Amino acid sequence: MTAPAVDVQAERSQQEIRRLRRRALLWLRYFILVVLALLFLFPIAWSFINSIKLPSEAMAAPPTYLPNEISLRNYEELTTYGKIGIAQHVYNSTVVALITVAGSIILSTLGGYGFARFEFPGKNVLFIMVLSTLMIPFQSILIPLFVMIVQVDLHDTLFGLALVYITFQLPFGIFLMRNSFLAVPQEIEESALLDGCSSLSILYRLMLRLALPGIVTVAIYAFINSWNEFLAALIFMSDQDKFTLPVFLTTIRYGIWGDVNWGALQAGVIVSIIPSLGIFLALQRYYMDGLMGGAVKN
Amino acid sequence: MSIRKSLFIVLSMVICLGALPAAAQDDQVNMTMWVRSIPFQTQALVDQWNASNDSQIELTIIPSGEFVTKMGAAIAAGEPPDIASIDLIYTPAFAAAGQLVDITEWVRQLPYADDLTPAHMELGMYEGRNYAVPTGVDGSFIVYNIDLFEQAGLDPDNPPSTWDEMLEAMRAIDALGDDIYGYWFSMACAGCNAFTFLPFIWASDGDVLSDDYSEATITTDPIVGEALAFYNTIWEEALVPEGASIDNGSNFVSAFTGGNIGMAGMGNFAIPLFTNDHPDLNFGVFHIPGKEGGAASFGGGDVIAIASGSAHVEEAWRFIEWTMSDEAQIEIYAANGQIPVRLALEDNKYFEGDERQRTAASALRVGHTPYTTVYNDLFNDPNGPWLEMLQIAILDGDIEGALELGQERFTQIMEG
Amino acid sequence: MGVGIGAGQEQLGLMKQITVMNLSWTQRRKLTGLLFVMPTVAFVTVFFIIPLIMTAYMSLHDWPLFGERAHIGLENYQELSKDRQYLKSLDFTFRYTLLVTPPIFILGFILASLVRRNIRYIGIFRTIFFLPVVIGLGVSSLLWVWMLDDRIGVFNKILLDLNLVPKAQLFLGRPNTTMNVIILSVVWKTVGFTMILLLAGLQSIPDALYESAEVDGAGYFRKLFYITLPLMRRFIALALILSVIGSVLSFDQFYIMTRGGPRNSTISIVFWIFNNSFTYFKMGYGAAMSIVLLGILVALTGLQLYVLREKE
Repeated sequence: MTAPAVDVQAERSQQEIRRLRRRALLWLRYFILVVLALLFLFPIAWSFINSIKLPSEAMAAPPTYLPNEISLRNYEELTTYGKIGIAQHVYNSTVVALITVAGSIILSTLGGYGFARFEFPGKNVLFIMVLSTLMIPFQSILIPLFVMIVQVDLHDTLFGLALVYITFQLPFGIFLMRNSFLAVPQEIEESALLDGCSSLSILYRLMLRLALPGIVTVAIYAFINSWNEFLAALIFMSDQDKFTLPVFLTTIRYGIWGDVNWGALQAGVIVSIIPSLGIFLALQRYYMDGLMGGAVKN
Repeated sequence: MSIRKSLFIVLSMVICLGALPAAAQDDQVNMTMWVRSIPFQTQALVDQWNASNDSQIELTIIPSGEFVTKMGAAIAAGEPPDIASIDLIYTPAFAAAGQLVDITEWVRQLPYADDLTPAHMELGMYEGRNYAVPTGVDGSFIVYNIDLFEQAGLDPDNPPSTWDEMLEAMRAIDALGDDIYGYWFSMACAGCNAFTFLPFIWASDGDVLSDDYSEATITTDPIVGEALAFYNTIWEEALVPEGASIDNGSNFVSAFTGGNIGMAGMGNFAIPLFTNDHPDLNFGVFHIPGKEGGAASFGGGDVIAIASGSAHVEEAWRFIEWTMSDEAQIEIYAANGQIPVRLALEDNKYFEGDERQRTAASALRVGHTPYTTVYNDLFNDPNGPWLEMLQIAILDGDIEGALELGQERFTQIMEG
Repeated sequence: MGVGIGAGQEQLGLMKQITVMNLSWTQRRKLTGLLFVMPTVAFVTVFFIIPLIMTAYMSLHDWPLFGERAHIGLENYQELSKDRQYLKSLDFTFRYTLLVTPPIFILGFILASLVRRNIRYIGIFRTIFFLPVVIGLGVSSLLWVWMLDDRIGVFNKILLDLNLVPKAQLFLGRPNTTMNVIILSVVWKTVGFTMILLLAGLQSIPDALYESAEVDGAGYFRKLFYITLPLMRRFIALALILSVIGSVLSFDQFYIMTRGGPRNSTISIVFWIFNNSFTYFKMGYGAAMSIVLLGILVALTGLQLYVLREKE
């Protein structure tokens, strides 16, 4: 009778050890995660801390770790910076982003639906043509884009910039919306079709609702990408009034005869981070799903 | 182009209607003017003009580093400003491309035409015709900290007049303490060093370009290498703060205001800043010397021109002529410490009694400016051969390699 | 959205006409499908296909930003082989790509492994690691150049306070340290993206595979090389292609953080194209460089797809 008892006991203690080990590993994992998370958050936090210092303290060399006095003066300075003030640039970035979002949604939905549900001659060629935009990035065709935009008088307009952004959102948008529509069972649509609905009303009444997550994903991507883009905005906008936020911020960095207003710059960094961060945090499920979905189905 | 244009129009109608702005209909003359972001009195000039004239000028300030790119893009787009205050070194390029209005006849009628600062007038000419007149003039010189000179046992009334004397002074000042340095240069700023380093070469009767500006003389003129060696010594002996090697111009002015820098190349634009914002700074001014003496200065600043295609050429000239009048030159320029564009106005009631201001103004008499349509690509571009050559020679000590690289890239750019 | 409905009504009208024309059902479906993709095709044609053809066309011309243009055949391309800075930029861009890719992948893989299991609060960590991705590269470059400053930068402050360095470091003063700190900033900014793609890959592998391997006594590395990596091939391929293309096309970080310095050592290809086209106004020359860049990108993508192809 004793031998089995020992066995049970040994097994128990082994289980105990395994359990403890797993628990220790779990704690170790959390420890590493927390350390890494702090490192990842540090630049943003540091920027924020400096943006709420007094302007003079934000310029101090060497810097202080924590503000001696909390102040919104840096943000106030931004409102009048360069005579135009940041509000105009926030407006510019917003307009460009909204046009890009609207355009991307409309074109991706129509195109994605077309590619997903219809058979027509040249479909594959056209689909590959759209997707090839992914492989040949706009940086390499920026020069003729600039020449064209200038020739039709759309340079220095927020609308012209948005048109370019929409084009380069399309491959991803079309791809994603096509997959979204493909995921809707054919039968649902067919029954609607038999009921006498036109293609467009099917799309509008039925499919859009089913594909809504895809649309949200397209919208988030369009917003964040256009909000953050720098190179095209730098080239296409020559009028200071039309600068988008990222371009405006570099003008702070290369200030008049040098003097960089570091406090205002950090306030500007925070202002420009907030919208994309907010949208991402609120809707990150869609963002991640879009990314992972794209990866899985590619 | 019409097919593409109609495609655009169709597209824009499909996607977003009514985004195009309506043209303003107005009888009043409204002109646009561009200036780069430098502290000349342009805003004050425009404000005064707008207050006392029917025609109105809208001033746009373009970040200095972007000015040429933006101006080029605006011209390409057919929408240049009416009036442009241009860094004088770019004038030949714009005039050569036919982008500026010929103002020769008007200039000839000016009673003070021959009295306008010569370097700026030369740069404003192309093939014998005038395209621009000076509007914001400046010359380079050396500022020195009188207090540090005295502490180091140097005679502040007798500042250095050769390279060796400068080095001696720097060493003496540098020895005063760990945080005290003999000199300052902004070695990641191309334009700063064209402004303050080229005159060392010119004052020694050397140059990096031939007299007719047709070829580079970097390897053929021995003075170029010697001047680089002079600056290399300053760096090697740590007579400048280490941070000077990566300064992109951010501290070109402010470094000297810290009170721990013995000498620095500077322009007149900084003097009002020094005297107003740093009243404790006890400084003097001397001309940039050659190796064995002599003096030279870089004639810098802005000229003002009318862009081709302006609908208000006559009114624009009326404004330009007014900026050179006694009223504007004395009460707006000199009153704010800015050098008048007419040499005879150096003696004015505002400059009386300030030797520094007069020395600064007199630098323009030994002022020189390279005349080349590729000035930007050669000297001002942060990625151009000038800065690369300086960095390799001065910071890395590879003077031979730097000279050869400089000669090769200068030649390549000048041959187009 | 209102505009979208407007456009839709137009199509609705068209479709009614088609119905009137009594086309067969399949023909009608074909036309409808074409109509749906038309706007997209138009956009891609105008903003992509035409510029692409124009790039090739411009590359055969002396095409200043303003002034006369002239056909010069292949002269721009011949010029390229003599352009010292262009060759230097090619070299730099490839070196940068080679150096920045491994850290992104190694750290990305470590992060993906750490956040793989759905333990408590793991969502928060995934979000935090991903956060920098939604910040623009331009803005993040501004942030980093400020943190790296020798006088007011926080890195020097910390290093000095911990007595790790005798005096403030000029991180952006020497070519090699410049490369290192830029890579650090880019890894911070982009690693979350790679993490998510690799995470999708990890999660696509059934646990049962690992369990049976463990029964066979396989250790961590055997599992890594025989199960994890092979099965993640497609995800790695996608992440690699996106990351490499992003690196080859990099511009923002160099334009903002170093302006190409020190000693012109950090001028990427796109930077040099930008300079030639919009600072030196040689757009034809810039177009020729773009064509070469395009060729490189297509070749790189093809190569990666080939190396990481599915073996079936």
